[in-house]
Amino acid sequence: MKLAPRLAVLLAAAVVSATACAPQTSDNSSSGKDEKSGTLRVWLFQEVDTKPKEKVVDAVLADFEKAHEDTEVSVEYIPVETRAQRIKAAFNDPKSAPDVIEFGNTDTAGYVKDGGLADVTEEFGAWDEAKDTDPTARQSVTVDGKVYGAPYFVGVRALYYRTDVFEELDLDVPRTLAEVASTAKQVRAAKPGLYGLAVGGAYTYGAMPFIWANGGELATGKGGSYAAAIDSAAARKGIEAYTSLFGDDNCPAAKCAGMGGNDTVTAFASGKAAMAIGGDFSHQAVEAGTVKGKYAVVPLPGVEPGSVAPAFAGGNNIGVLKSTSHRTLAVDLMKRLASKKAQADLFEAMGFLPTFTDVRQQVAKEEPFVKPFVDTLAAGTKFVPASPAWATIDSSQVLPTMFQEVVSGKKDVDAAAGDAAKKMDAAFGSAG
Amino acid sequence: MTVSPSSSGGAVRGRVRVRRGTSRSSPRPFGGASRTPWIYLAPALVVLGGLLVYPVYQLGLISFLEYTQAQVSGGEATAFRGFGNYAELFGDGEFWRVLLATVVFAAACVVSTLAVGCALAVLLTRVRAVPRLVLMLAALGAWATPAVTGSTVWLLLFDPDFGPVNRMLGLGDHSWTYGRYSAFLLVLLEVVWCSFPFVMVTVYAGIKAVPGEVLEAAALDGASQWRIWRSVLAPMLRPILVVVTIQSVIWDFKVFTQIYVMTNGGGIAGQNLVLNVYAYQKAFASSQYSLGSAIGVVMLLILLAVTLVYLRLLRRQGEEL
Amino acid sequence: MNLPLRLPRPRVRRPWRLAAEASALLIAVVVAFPLYWMVLSAFKPAGEIESSEPRPWTLAPTLDSFRRVFGQQEFGRYFLNSLLVAGTVVVASALIAFLAATAVTRFRFRFRTTLLIMFLVAQMVPVEALTIPLFFLMRDAGQLNTLGSLILPHIAFSLPFAIWMLRGFVKAVPEALEEAAHMDGASRSRFLWQILFPLVFPGLVATSVFSFISTWNDFLFAKSFIISDTSQSTLPMALLVFYKPDDPDWGGVMAGSTVMTIPVLVFFVLVQRRLVSGLGGAVKD
Repeated sequence: MKLAPRLAVLLAAAVVSATACAPQTSDNSSSGKDEKSGTLRVWLFQEVDTKPKEKVVDAVLADFEKAHEDTEVSVEYIPVETRAQRIKAAFNDPKSAPDVIEFGNTDTAGYVKDGGLADVTEEFGAWDEAKDTDPTARQSVTVDGKVYGAPYFVGVRALYYRTDVFEELDLDVPRTLAEVASTAKQVRAAKPGLYGLAVGGAYTYGAMPFIWANGGELATGKGGSYAAAIDSAAARKGIEAYTSLFGDDNCPAAKCAGMGGNDTVTAFASGKAAMAIGGDFSHQAVEAGTVKGKYAVVPLPGVEPGSVAPAFAGGNNIGVLKSTSHRTLAVDLMKRLASKKAQADLFEAMGFLPTFTDVRQQVAKEEPFVKPFVDTLAAGTKFVPASPAWATIDSSQVLPTMFQEVVSGKKDVDAAAGDAAKKMDAAFGSAG
Repeated sequence: MTVSPSSSGGAVRGRVRVRRGTSRSSPRPFGGASRTPWIYLAPALVVLGGLLVYPVYQLGLISFLEYTQAQVSGGEATAFRGFGNYAELFGDGEFWRVLLATVVFAAACVVSTLAVGCALAVLLTRVRAVPRLVLMLAALGAWATPAVTGSTVWLLLFDPDFGPVNRMLGLGDHSWTYGRYSAFLLVLLEVVWCSFPFVMVTVYAGIKAVPGEVLEAAALDGASQWRIWRSVLAPMLRPILVVVTIQSVIWDFKVFTQIYVMTNGGGIAGQNLVLNVYAYQKAFASSQYSLGSAIGVVMLLILLAVTLVYLRLLRRQGEEL
Repeated sequence: MNLPLRLPRPRVRRPWRLAAEASALLIAVVVAFPLYWMVLSAFKPAGEIESSEPRPWTLAPTLDSFRRVFGQQEFGRYFLNSLLVAGTVVVASALIAFLAATAVTRFRFRFRTTLLIMFLVAQMVPVEALTIPLFFLMRDAGQLNTLGSLILPHIAFSLPFAIWMLRGFVKAVPEALEEAAHMDGASRSRFLWQILFPLVFPGLVATSVFSFISTWNDFLFAKSFIISDTSQSTLPMALLVFYKPDDPDWGGVMAGSTVMTIPVLVFFVLVQRRLVSGLGGAVKD
């Protein structure tokens, strides 16, 4: 048993290090080395069924290893649930750290501030495929004008609706946000067992389009200095529009105030709602539900007829860690993993939407289901403030709290938005 | 607390009679060398010193610093903030609201858990082997379930749309997590569900170790169940009840998983936040470790105060550690 | 093993006893219902778990969810790791706690009470807050990504409670026995290991239950200290995979939980008798 001597060493170390007094930090500056051979480590996210993803990745790796002599790549698929700990831990312990990681695009600014991601502006600029990257995706890897990775795929939400219900009640597909609301209420009035539009007080990404469509913003500013704009008149109008959907005439507050995005999709999939705002990634869940074959998807309309409400562009990126000792190789691997070909294959395998506009158009032709999502992306999407403070705002649930305060009648829109703005400004201020 | 001499214990296989009180002050055959207890304690002290005391010391230190992920990974220098983190914490009205909710909620959990656990322990002594085994196994099952899963299952059970409980009770689509108190109640039920088995099994074991003659005498005197419990069992079980109470206070004050999973991170507009979840959201989820450490230190101090007061009360009643 | 205190069935009248037994069974059903629902959900086909017609049975039981659980890479490895970690923690903390409990109950020395209170305080530390300092400790000791990084903190966190619980058991062993052993010329360590240890064993079993459960069910350390080497992961990590933020797989969660709960239940059933007789020892002052 090799454990025993190791434990003894650790105990000794524990005693010795007890004499040190400052809390520890890590030296996470770049290693300075740029080896041209050896083993590269890659972390990608685990999926419920990772196999198809593995196949795509393995093909990329085979090419990569062929192109670079004496290099090997070891890939690990890490559970999404633990990614925050894992990736932070990797920043803290360069020895455990991989060279290349997949990460959620809302985490970019935070990871950059943590000093974990390598600046790849030059390489990204020189990459010929990058010119077709869609602007929001590019924004999601950009902090302060510098690029910290390559977009891997995007996820975007649109309006799911029940074709059978609409037909039965002789309803038209709504063309404006106001019509979405009125249609929802019509359905609810005719069929009290259904939510018109399933909404959730904790469903921030479903609510954002209402704010953006009304001309509001979450925050304004550039680079490090953001200021909350959630309490502007336009944003408040959006909040008002979204929160007015909570009520007995659409989605009773008692049930919907606590729902998150997944809950609304589940409600729709199980036949409890006539409409829901769901992502391209919700497709499988809906197909597995009772509404299979009885629904369709359109882009969520905006304020003007024929317009599309700006959607939040979620998705993942691929980045290179600052601590890598194989920078050139790692960047090359990043480009290969996020290349047009790999993204097209990934869509084929997993249904993840490519971040290149041309590749996306192409796959939309082959797979009609993704058309409304591609149209939504084409109409222009938005992204959360590229500030490290966003992680704080997100994890301390500033926006869900704001919506829920309004929905449950604890505060009116002005007061709730004002408080949320204060909390956001405090976060922006302290994050610098 | 003296159990009468006739109670030779299950723990010592009954062969040896307990004779106590005699040799405590007399020189011990093996207790002579004053080094011996320290030798016995050495492994425990090394492990605890290295892996608990030292980290706690660091925790205290961090609570006085500016220490976020940026400092941890060396992106920025650490700066001394003095009581800045504490000032920030105490200046936040939400902290006081959460603190109050935590204390009340933990107290309710402790009281309910103890009540249910003790009542069922007494019930166990009143029934024959088969029902006893069935109830015991059910309770052990609840105990064995990981907290994350337990919370998820309870949530599914009480789901307004998909759960069977509302069907059975005829509540239609009543939402349990919307109202502040009903959400707390739901979490309380789950907490009691997963923590009463410890109390029940321990107290039941304690009752079984109480000499039968004592109970018999009480029963012959015509004492009611409640009186027997109050004047005979409870005093005899005091040492066990002390352990069980302290443990429940410690566990319930630090409740995290149940609140986090069942109220989706603190409930509608944060109405169901308790300190541990608050610390997690305010601090750890967004890597503001110094603030989180400050909350941790405050929690530690509160628990310490509660326990010391409790121990002092016991001591005044002649109880000894 | 003659448990002396078989309660003379107190003169409970028959209808009362029947009522008591009926309520015991009813309560058992209520307590077991969430467990039943967990297992049931694990066997339900995908669409049925969240259907608006919840049924306490399923007409189409399927092993799909279990297949997803067992189909994970290295699931068996996780299982073994979990067993190894929990086993080591149980044995190590029982031995260390036995020694410490003996010290604080059989000896009087300076700082004894202080130590006892320290052991109590040690349990009050919010574990989440400690992961950061512990992480650096593990890193500097080169233990990150090894099972040691799970075993050591778990020993440390189970010790205080184990020592507290064991005190009662050690106390219950009469001091006369110690004197007798001494007269017979037994050495101190002989008394400790050959006389005291077997007598306290039921108590050790009882306390082991706690360290076993808390170690077996731990998510926190597993996800904080096992960073880059999944072959060192434990079972809870295999469960977390199903909690996907956008699309949680409840069937997988329930199947995984069932698989995780079974070993603990088996352990419980094995030690049930000893657990009861053991915990009873704590009442002995």
